[in-house]
Amino acid sequence: MHKERQQHIAEKAAHHKNISSWLLTLPSLIWLSIFFLIPYFIVVLYSFLTPGTLDVKFEVSLDSYRQIFDGVYYKPFLNSFLLAIYTTIICVLLGYPVAYFIARAREKVRNTLLIFIIIPFWTNLIIRIFSWRIFLAYNGVMNNLLTNMGLISQPLEIIRTDWAVILVTVYVYLPYMILPLYSTLEKLDFTLLQAAMDLGANEVKAFFSITLPLSLEGIFAGTLLVFIPSLGSYLIPQLVGNQKSLYIGQVITYKIKNIPRNWPMASALSLILLLLVAVLLLIMYYLFKRHQRSKRRRYE
Amino acid sequence: MNKRTKMYKGMNLTIFTLVMVFLYVPILILMIYSFNDAKIITGWKGFTFKYYMELRKSEALKAAFWNTMLIALLSTFISTTLGVLAALGLENKSFSGRKVMQGLIYVPLVIPDILMGVSLALLFNFTKANTGMFTVLIAHITFCLSYTIIVIQSRLEGFDYSLVEAAQDLGAKPSYIFWKVKFPLMMPGIIAAALLAFTLSIDDFIITFFTSGRGFDTLPIYVEGTIRRGTITTINSLSTLMIAFTLFLVAITKRVRKIMISAL
Repeated sequence: MHKERQQHIAEKAAHHKNISSWLLTLPSLIWLSIFFLIPYFIVVLYSFLTPGTLDVKFEVSLDSYRQIFDGVYYKPFLNSFLLAIYTTIICVLLGYPVAYFIARAREKVRNTLLIFIIIPFWTNLIIRIFSWRIFLAYNGVMNNLLTNMGLISQPLEIIRTDWAVILVTVYVYLPYMILPLYSTLEKLDFTLLQAAMDLGANEVKAFFSITLPLSLEGIFAGTLLVFIPSLGSYLIPQLVGNQKSLYIGQVITYKIKNIPRNWPMASALSLILLLLVAVLLLIMYYLFKRHQRSKRRRYE
Repeated sequence: MNKRTKMYKGMNLTIFTLVMVFLYVPILILMIYSFNDAKIITGWKGFTFKYYMELRKSEALKAAFWNTMLIALLSTFISTTLGVLAALGLENKSFSGRKVMQGLIYVPLVIPDILMGVSLALLFNFTKANTGMFTVLIAHITFCLSYTIIVIQSRLEGFDYSLVEAAQDLGAKPSYIFWKVKFPLMMPGIIAAALLAFTLSIDDFIITFFTSGRGFDTLPIYVEGTIRRGTITTINSLSTLMIAFTLFLVAITKRVRKIMISAL
């Protein structure tokens, strides 16, 4: 009898706790439903409508999808996709040694070094992009410097090229790769590395069989933080890129902002982009799970 | 330590140094050029404070500055408050809505910003809402909310409950325990979340671009418009002031920075 009563009280307490959890999360739940979830249904709806000059006409049309599947927009998608891939690869290659260097520094030095990564991370995005316009411009600092040093006879035209877009995207998102990489490397037990080397592995082998596998989680996190925003980037190609080679973020923005507007097309393109991101996330998730499974197996 | 290990260490140091040069040279040059007495992008033409003085004359800039601050403060306050509540609700591991809620929090983080901008622009068009301060505020709260919940939640996960339990054993009332014991322990997480929301809000261009109407500019929108129109003389000085503000923020937030990094 006593036991039953106790169980009853425990159940009741759990029930109360559940209700208070609902009440506490409810404001955020409602907020995100109205302003995050429902808007996507409107995007889906608009993608099946007819464009008007300023607004949409509520007449059903499949034109947007037809044009997309006819390949009208394959180039901006390809440009963005390649940009995201190049950026991610360069960020891993540059970010890894930097994160490693900070993680292995003495604790006091470590915090100072981290600040150097955080300052650009917190500096306004548009300012950071704009600073490259001054640096790379035809009459800009770099060209003046190189001409004065006699290294080049004519100013280089880097600004307004796809190279400038890649360069600045790497510049903007590099801290997003370094910070999560640092977080995993900092927790890594470096005595394992020493042990491997004592057992006769050389540095390269020790790195590929110990450090790299153990820091894959940081690479995954950094890849997410770099790849996805570069895929949808608008401001960087707009400010340092070239109007002859557009990126998908620019095309979507023009369809929404410029007159004649084409909101159904912007909606359809957004949904394709969303689909692309979802597929990528699923692949990443699968790879991550597989990695975790093999890690567990190794330790068992 | 053998020779090869030293060599790899030297390589890391070299790459670190090069990356630092890469990260800082453009910003430093921008700051130096804010004192350059030239109207267009060109070589050094002499030192001047002129463009800092010009900043004070622009009414549009002043309006953009106050709009940015207003939106940042309001969206920080609201998203952090909602974040504290949600994080406390999610603390309960057997909460039946936990999965749904986690999904709603994490999905916005892994979708390009531009898509949130498009979807909100269409929502406001569909509902015939007047775009302006109000729609921008809604948008900013929406993209800050996931971050604030996650930062506060990660702080609660690494929580030392022994103090709360000690207070319970000593017979303190639940409300007393919350306000005198738990809330103060949550405070670093709350400050980190608020700071993150604030910086995200003042930094945002694309979502604001899609949700603000004519006549409601924030600083990034103002800067982009000025660059587009080609009158860039004051942008250098404005940028320098904004970078100084970032440095100030970094300096005063030594304690909470670690929490923000570990939540990433």
